[in-house]
Amino acid sequence: MNNTYDVIIIGGGATGAGIARDCSLRGIKALLLERSDISTGATGRNHGLLHSGARYAVTDHESAQECIRENMILRRIAAHCVEETDGLFITLPEDSLEYQSVFVEACRKAGIRADVIDPEEAIRLEPSVNRTLIGAVRVPDGAIDPFRLTSSNILDAKTHGAEIHTYTEVTELLREQNRIIGVKAYNHHTKEEERYYAQVVINAGGIWGHGIAAKAGITVNMLPAKGALLIFGHRVNHMVLNRCRKPADADILVPGDTISLIGTTSSKVPFDQVDNMVVTPDEVDLLLREGEKLSPQLAQTRILRAYAGVRPLVASDDDPSGRTVSRGIVLLDHATRDGIEGFITITGGKLMTYRLMAEWATDLVCKKLSIDKKCQTAEIPLPGSAESREEVDKKLHGKPVVQRRSTIARHGALAVEIEGNDSYKNSLVCECEEVSIGEIEYAMEHLAVNNLVDLRRRTRVGMGTCQGELCACRAAGLMGRKDPVCARKAKADLANFLNERWKGMAPIAWGDTLRESEYTTWIYEGVCGLSDQEVITEKTAAK
Amino acid sequence: MKFDTVIIGGGLAGLSCGIRLAEAGRRCAIVSQGQSAIHFSSGSFDLLGQLPDGTPVEDPAEGIAALEKCAPEHPYARIGAQACERYAEAARKLLCEAGIPVSGSPRRNHYRITPLGMAKPTWLTIDGYLTTPSPEVLPFRSVCIVNVEGFLDFYPEFIAEAFRRHGVSCRFASVNSPDLENIRRNPSEMRSANIARVFDHEQNLDRLAARIREAARECEAVILPAIIGINRSDAFEVLKAKVDLPLYLLPTLPPSIPGIKAQQALQHRFRALGGEYFLGDSVLSAEVEKNRVKSIRTVNHGDIPFEAEAFVLASGSFFSRGLIATPDRIVEPVFGADTDFVPNRTEWYTEHFFDRHNYEAFGIRTDRSLKLLKEGSVMENLYGIGAGLSGFHPVQEGCGAGVSLISALFVADRILNSLKS
Repeated sequence: MNNTYDVIIIGGGATGAGIARDCSLRGIKALLLERSDISTGATGRNHGLLHSGARYAVTDHESAQECIRENMILRRIAAHCVEETDGLFITLPEDSLEYQSVFVEACRKAGIRADVIDPEEAIRLEPSVNRTLIGAVRVPDGAIDPFRLTSSNILDAKTHGAEIHTYTEVTELLREQNRIIGVKAYNHHTKEEERYYAQVVINAGGIWGHGIAAKAGITVNMLPAKGALLIFGHRVNHMVLNRCRKPADADILVPGDTISLIGTTSSKVPFDQVDNMVVTPDEVDLLLREGEKLSPQLAQTRILRAYAGVRPLVASDDDPSGRTVSRGIVLLDHATRDGIEGFITITGGKLMTYRLMAEWATDLVCKKLSIDKKCQTAEIPLPGSAESREEVDKKLHGKPVVQRRSTIARHGALAVEIEGNDSYKNSLVCECEEVSIGEIEYAMEHLAVNNLVDLRRRTRVGMGTCQGELCACRAAGLMGRKDPVCARKAKADLANFLNERWKGMAPIAWGDTLRESEYTTWIYEGVCGLSDQEVITEKTAAK
Repeated sequence: MKFDTVIIGGGLAGLSCGIRLAEAGRRCAIVSQGQSAIHFSSGSFDLLGQLPDGTPVEDPAEGIAALEKCAPEHPYARIGAQACERYAEAARKLLCEAGIPVSGSPRRNHYRITPLGMAKPTWLTIDGYLTTPSPEVLPFRSVCIVNVEGFLDFYPEFIAEAFRRHGVSCRFASVNSPDLENIRRNPSEMRSANIARVFDHEQNLDRLAARIREAARECEAVILPAIIGINRSDAFEVLKAKVDLPLYLLPTLPPSIPGIKAQQALQHRFRALGGEYFLGDSVLSAEVEKNRVKSIRTVNHGDIPFEAEAFVLASGSFFSRGLIATPDRIVEPVFGADTDFVPNRTEWYTEHFFDRHNYEAFGIRTDRSLKLLKEGSVMENLYGIGAGLSGFHPVQEGCGAGVSLISALFVADRILNSLKS
């Protein structure tokens, strides 16, 4: 096995995936190592908001500028991951209208289009908005699907020669004098230890980057800030809704696919808790209370799931809330900072600036490797975004309309790769999210799906209102078809999936959610006889 | 409208109670929303599979006696072990007389095989479904597991994986039919009930039998998903005769054909005995006077109240909305009756899906004769039966169907006795 590369990227979030793509487009041989599946950290646990930057305009001019630039780039290169909804910053009677003018001026200074519209116009544009609003500003916010975005970056990186190893956890940085020469990693599938070597190792581990740097004896002072969110069972709003005031808890409501998301809270958490994010009843209550101010309809809307991510903020002061810390990008060259060659850390930033972070990190790699190649990721569309939805739609003319619509929405131009010429392949596994057998087979074959939770991230199977009630079992059945080993694993996987889903449902398990949970228990534990004994605990920490 | 008894809820509990009362000549009405747990039936009825502490139960009657000590609030414990055994036997007879041919004994559990191939202890199983006297022993050494092509709610590979652990050799066969292509054209229609309709037709049964005979040539037995005979009740017998090999059914994911058929059979029996079944109706309000329910009003019968001597609440738990969970309490929506629950929501469940969760035992509060309470006072003529009762974990303990049947017959007796006196 050839285990030598130009760079090793640690972390399969949007940033790591973006670096893998950028490197491979510049002819740099890259290996990406991810301890779990792609987009399992903060990448997959946020609003999915295509920030215009308006939210930061008043408090952080630089971040606001970065956001609007990247916003415009992503609309071009990642069109199939983006929904151009626009957003409203609303002023409620309890807020001050004076802030609105400060806000609008700051937006314009950062290059963000900000149109003041009157409340009636806002209600017409977004009927779900709180009708007591006294002011509204329209900005180019949107929705972005972080799973799709990361997956496309990974696909393109692979096409251009990068190697991606998921479920491979870096346990040690290999060091020769003052140089990091590679990593030791534990493969959770083969249960074996592997060694990989490279001229540069990039730490793109998000909040876990703190621990990765520590393996080189380096301290990167991070501030783990937990952000909790709630997902609602249908799409309440069609435009992003924000409060026009200084950023606070639960003041962004983002539509995405078939759902809406409210978030976030912000609280400091200890490092030993970052793998164990549980949403508390207090956080749920706060999110609901504040969310209903943006859109009173939320009070009558079913909550599907609660979840929390950890922002990888770099601590610059000891603000306990983590809100005044800059969302700016932090690129650390440990050669100049700590005297250790061959090791860099890219952190801070946010989903919106993942591409720019990747560009900065790759620029530094190029400098170190004396490669003179320009970044092209702002120009070349991602796979799936090379053609417009209309063009793809024409190519898929023979397919039933439901599968055509949903696969184009999820896979863009790559929807043509999904088999769907016969009624079997077109059969729906997941009715809420309209996922067909063909799409699941495509994901299993091309999108590095190892289990049902991975499959959910690639296809949205089990993400709809039923939360995987029956489709989880159907998908497990498809995954278990290959051989007896697969069947045994798929059963265990199904039990794991249900456990994983329940974590997001437990904090909000009353009303219809409790009702669905009771039903799920009847079906899986009762009718199917599935039990705890089937659960495999994937150890995230290699011993 | 005047009745002797009005039952709210037309699932397994409500129908069994109604049948028992109608058999005794009482004028009975059932008001049913239409959705009940019997629609997800596995083809078996559990009595008791496990004690609350997880001890497996082989002899349910003995297990129920143990509940009197270790779980005094359990509906079985309140009804009493001896009475439970008596009602269990009466329930088996009731099911058989309704045209649901079941076998089993309250003194010894047998095992049903699940759609994933697991063995679960149970009490009564409908004829034709695969059962075993012990979880390790199957009645064949080789089997052909048949599925309909593209049917995703049945899992031959999972079943084979479990069977092979017990040394059974398994082979697979899939069947198709031109009529299935019509269903397949709509991508969400390949579900059990639609497929079963296809196999109600003789020529499709013929085709199925031919395919099975060909595929199962060297096997001792054949397994089929429960997709046979939804409207035509002799379909399974006809198929068996054509195949000429031991043929067993296994349940599928919902909709459950044995569940739908059991519901229809019970409904039919209730009506045949003179009962009135109001399907698709739900209760709006109740008139209560001095701890007695005088009448109820429903959506479909607006101004015409249902009056009766006795009322039975058989509206189920959360799924059928017999119980409603708000963020801080459990509500019984028809009468606003008292409920048993823990106020602090964080204690309703643990973070592991497969744990025994407290919420599963929440439900309506009743006295020893299963009369409901409201603001602490006993409601003189209002009884609770079935999944809505508090004090038991239907899935973990494997006692959901048993509690429904036994509480239904117990309350029917109470009502008959009170009318006598």
